[in-house]
Amino acid sequence: MWYRVNTMRITSQRLLLSLVALLVAGACKKESAGTAKSDDKAEIAIGATLPLTGAESRTGGFFKEGYELAFDEVNAAGGLDVGGKKRKVKLTLYDDTTNQATANSLADKLINSDKVDFLLGTYSTALVEAQSTIAEQNKMPYVNGGGAASHIYKRGYKYIFGVLSPVELLGTTLMNWIDEQQKAGKLPRPSKIAVLWENTAHGKDFKKGISDFAAKSGGAYEIAIDESFELNGKDFSALLGKVKAAAVDLFLADAHLPDYITMHRQYLDAGLCHKVVSYGARGSEKAAVDALGKDNVAYVLSGVWWSPQLADTIPLAKKFVEAFKAKYSGKTPEWYHALAYEAARALFAGIQQAGSTDREAVRAKLAALKIESMLPGGTVEFPADHGGEAQNLFIVQQNQPDGTSPVIYPKEVAKAAGVAPSPRCTP
Amino acid sequence: MTVNPPSLVSRRRGGGFAAVCAVLAVLPWVADLSAYAHNQLTLLYITIAGVLAWNWMGGFVGQVSFGHAAMFGIGGFVAGQMMVHVHLPAPLCWLAGAGVAGVFALGAHPMLRLRGPYFSIATIGLGEASRLVFTYWEKFTGGASGLSLPIDADVRFRLYWWALAIAALVAAASYVIRHSSLGLKLLAIKADVEAAADVGISATFYQDLVFVLSGAVVGLTGGLNASFFNFIEPNDMFGFERSITMVLVAVIGGLGTSLGPVLGAVVFVLVHNYLLSSYPQLHLGLYGVLLILIILFEPLGLTGLAQRGVRAVERARARKRAAP
Amino acid sequence: MARLLDMIVSAVLLAGLYATMAYGLGLIYGVLRVVNLAHGGVIMAGAYLGWCLHEGFGLDPYLSIPLVMAATFLLGVVMYQGLVRRLPRGAAGGPASLLLLFGVWLVLRNIAYLLFTGNDQVIRTAFASRAVPLLGTHVALNRLVVLGIALVIAVLLHVLLRRTMIGRAIRAVAQNADSCTLVGIDVNRVYTLTFGIGAALAGVAGVLLATIFSFNPGSGSSELLKSFVVVVLGGLGSVYGVGLAALIVATVEVFAILVLPSYLTTAVGFMLLVLVLVLRPGGLFGHRVLS
Repeated sequence: MWYRVNTMRITSQRLLLSLVALLVAGACKKESAGTAKSDDKAEIAIGATLPLTGAESRTGGFFKEGYELAFDEVNAAGGLDVGGKKRKVKLTLYDDTTNQATANSLADKLINSDKVDFLLGTYSTALVEAQSTIAEQNKMPYVNGGGAASHIYKRGYKYIFGVLSPVELLGTTLMNWIDEQQKAGKLPRPSKIAVLWENTAHGKDFKKGISDFAAKSGGAYEIAIDESFELNGKDFSALLGKVKAAAVDLFLADAHLPDYITMHRQYLDAGLCHKVVSYGARGSEKAAVDALGKDNVAYVLSGVWWSPQLADTIPLAKKFVEAFKAKYSGKTPEWYHALAYEAARALFAGIQQAGSTDREAVRAKLAALKIESMLPGGTVEFPADHGGEAQNLFIVQQNQPDGTSPVIYPKEVAKAAGVAPSPRCTP
Repeated sequence: MTVNPPSLVSRRRGGGFAAVCAVLAVLPWVADLSAYAHNQLTLLYITIAGVLAWNWMGGFVGQVSFGHAAMFGIGGFVAGQMMVHVHLPAPLCWLAGAGVAGVFALGAHPMLRLRGPYFSIATIGLGEASRLVFTYWEKFTGGASGLSLPIDADVRFRLYWWALAIAALVAAASYVIRHSSLGLKLLAIKADVEAAADVGISATFYQDLVFVLSGAVVGLTGGLNASFFNFIEPNDMFGFERSITMVLVAVIGGLGTSLGPVLGAVVFVLVHNYLLSSYPQLHLGLYGVLLILIILFEPLGLTGLAQRGVRAVERARARKRAAP
Repeated sequence: MARLLDMIVSAVLLAGLYATMAYGLGLIYGVLRVVNLAHGGVIMAGAYLGWCLHEGFGLDPYLSIPLVMAATFLLGVVMYQGLVRRLPRGAAGGPASLLLLFGVWLVLRNIAYLLFTGNDQVIRTAFASRAVPLLGTHVALNRLVVLGIALVIAVLLHVLLRRTMIGRAIRAVAQNADSCTLVGIDVNRVYTLTFGIGAALAGVAGVLLATIFSFNPGSGSSELLKSFVVVVLGGLGSVYGVGLAALIVATVEVFAILVLPSYLTTAVGFMLLVLVLVLRPGGLFGHRVLS
C-alpha cells in the first residue's frame, strides 16, 4: 500500500511544481508588446495612480477630479501643441489602494508595461515617496501635487517635481502672522507655545516649521509642549490635560480631519481656551463646523495651499473655479482639486515647451519652468535648490463666528483682518 | 550488512525541483521579460520566502503568529541603515538584518509558553507595540518620514536571482524539515504538547528554534524588500496588514504543508494584481470569503484541493484498470 | 491636584468605554472558548447601523440601542449557526476559529466600504455633545452616558447569568459542555444564544463609540485589541472582573502620560497585553491557566 501512496505523493508534488512553473511562466507573458516610438503616436500617454480606495480615498477622489478637468480642457482645445503638431493627452489611472508597495508596483507597470510617456503623482507623502523612487530609476519625469514633505525632494533626484509647498512653510507662515500680532502688541512676549503633531511626515514637518521659527526668534517664542500623537487616535484627554497644566498662550496642532474634530471636541470639553488656536491645514471644513458648532470653531486658524477665495484676486483661479463648477455640477473646488490641476498643467507646459515627448527634453524644461499659476504668488516653478519642490507661500484663513472663513494673510490676498487674541477666551 | 535508509529527498523530486529553479533562473533571457514582469517575479520570490518561513511557525508548530511584521520591519531597517551608513555590500546587510530579527525573536521567548489563541493574541500585541515603538524611534527608522536608500539599479536587477536563490533555499529547507525527524517532532508538539514532552521532546527548545529561524528568514526578506523599494517606512513595514498577508497566503496555499505557501503566494499575487485592475473595491471581501471557505471545507487550502484532484484521477485510473 | 482629579475622571470615563467594548468578547470567549476576531467588525457594524438610523430616520442614537442590539444579535446568531458551529470545539479549533472569524471581519469591512465608502463618519447630536460640570471639571455628556450604560450592562449581565435559567444553562455549558448534554441542556442553542448576546453587546458598544469618535469601515482593530487586554486581564467567568480590569487598563493608560511621551501611551495597552498573557494568562480574577 505504501508503494501506491508514494506514487500518489510523487504525482501530486510534480503536479504542484509544474503548476507553479506554468503559472509563473504565464505571469510573464502578460506584458504588452508595443514599442512604437512615442513621437509617432497620436496621443500622449500620461500615467498616474491615486488612492481611490483605502484610507485616503476621499482625497484620491478629489485629485481624480482635478486631473480629469485638466485633461478635458486640453483635449477640448484639440490637444497639446507639441512641436507644431496638436496631440491629445490620455490619462491612464490606477487605484493604488493607499498602499506604498502597490503604488510602486503600479508605477512600474505604467512605465514598463503600459509604456506611458510621463507620470503624474499620487496623493499622500508616503505614497509619493515610495512611488518616486521607481520614476527616478526609470528616468521618467514625475510631477505631483500630493507629496508635501520636504525630505522627498532632498534625495538628489532629478526627475521628481512637486507643486505642493512643504508643510514646514505652513508652520512658518502661521508663525509669520502670529509674529505680526506679537509685534503689534496683541500677543504677549515671550509667548509660550504647545505644539501637538500627528506622527506622520506631515506633522513632523509642521513641528519643524514652528520650532525652527521659535529658535530663530531670539526668545520671543518658547515651546513649552512638543508632543506627537497617533493618527486616528481616540483619546486625547491625557495629552490635553498636560497642555492645560502647562498654561500656554498658543495652541498649534497639526491633524487630519477626524483627529481635529475629536481633539477639538475634547479641547472644548476640558474647558481649554488659548489666544491662538490652529490645527495646521484644518479648520474651515464644513464637516467640522457641523460637528462642533459655529461658535466652537470660531477664530481657529488654518493654513492652506489654495482657497477658492483667491478667485477674487487671481484671474487664473477665477477661471479654474468657473470651469470646475461647470464640469462638476456647481461644486466649489478645494485645494486638493487645485493642486492636482496645477500639477497636470505644469506637466503639459513642460511638454509644450520641450516641443517633443522626449523625456530628457521635458525634464530639462520642467526644471527651468516658470509659468503663471493660480497658487499664492501667481507663479509656479521648481527651484533646484529645493530639490524641485515649489515654495509658494501658504494662505492663512480664520474662522469667523458667522460660519465663514476668510483669508487673513498674506495682505495681498486677504479679505479680512485676522483677530488675536481669540475673543472666545476673554471672559 | 548495512542498510541505507532512503534519502530525505528522492532523486526524482530533487531533480524536478532543480529543474524548476533552473528554468526560473534563465527565464528573464529566454522569455525576454519586461522590466515590470522581472520586478513582479522578484517580489513574488521575496513573498514566497517570507511566507514559507512563517509557515514553519504557523503550520509546522501550529502557533499562528499575527505579528511577524515586527521581524520583517526590523530586518528591513537594520539592512537599510547599514546600507546607508556602513556601505557594506547588500547581501551582508541583509544577513545582518536577519541576525538582528532572529535575536529579537529570541527575546519573545516568554510568549512561546502560550498556546493557541493566547499566543496569537500576544503576537498581535507584539506586532502593534513594535510598530508604535519603532515609528517613534526616529534615529533607527526615520520615524514617519521613513528611510530612503540610495538607488542602485544594478542591485535591483540582480535582486531577481538573489530572491530566487533565497526562495529556493527556504523551500528546500521547508521540504527537508517537514520530512525529517525535526518535522516529526514539530508535528508532535503541534498535536499535543504534553504528550510530546512525555516522550522527551522539549517544546520550549524546538519552539524557540523555529521561532528564531522563522523570524530570521522573515527579517532577511525585510532586507530584500528594502533593497527592492529603496524606501521603507515603519508604519508600512511593521503594519498589521503585512502580518495578515503572510497568514492569508499560507492559509490559501495550505497551512502546514511543506510547499503550499509557494502555491498560495503565486495565486495570491495573480489574484491581487487582477483584482487591483478590475475590482479594487472587492479585494478585502474576496480574501475574507476565501479564508472562510478554506477553513470550513478544505483546511489544507489549494494544496488540499490539488491532492483531492490527484486522488480523483488515481481512482478513475484504478477503476479503468479494474474493469477491462 | 486639579490635574490629578482630571486624570482620575478621564480614567473612569475611559474605563466605561473599555468595559462596554469588552463584555461581548469576554462572554463569547468565556463560554465558547472561541476568540471572536470579528468583534471589531461587529462593533463597526453597530456604529454604522446607529449612524444609518440617525441619518435616515433622525433616530437619537441612545434610542436606537434596542434596534441595533436586535440587529447585531441576529448577526451573531447567523455567524454562529452558519460558520462557527462547523468548527471542531476546543484546542483543535484554535487557529481555525481565529482565521474563520478574521475572514468574517474582512467581509464585514468590505460590505461597509461598498455601502458607505471609506469616509469617516460620526453621530453627533446636540444633546450628547454638551459638557456638564462635574467635580470642578467639565465632563462630556456622551462619555457619562457610556459609563452609565457600562454599569447597567454589568448589572444586567450579572442578573442574567446568576438569576435566570438561561444564565445558569450558559454557566453550566461554560464549565463542562459535554456533561450538559447528559443532563438535557441543548448546548447548541446555548452557544447560539451566547454568540448572539456577545454580538449584541458589541453592537451597543459600536453605537456608543460612534457618538464619541469618528469611525470608518477600517476601524475596529484598536477596539478589538483593547478588549483583549481587558478580557485577558479580567479573567474568565467574571463580569465584574471585566469592569475592574477595564478600570485598571484605563488608569494605566491615562497616568502613563506622566512618564511616557503621548505617542507611546497607545503602546502601553499592547505591552500590558503581552505582560499579562505571559505572567498571568488566567487574568487577575480568573483561574490559573496551565501552559
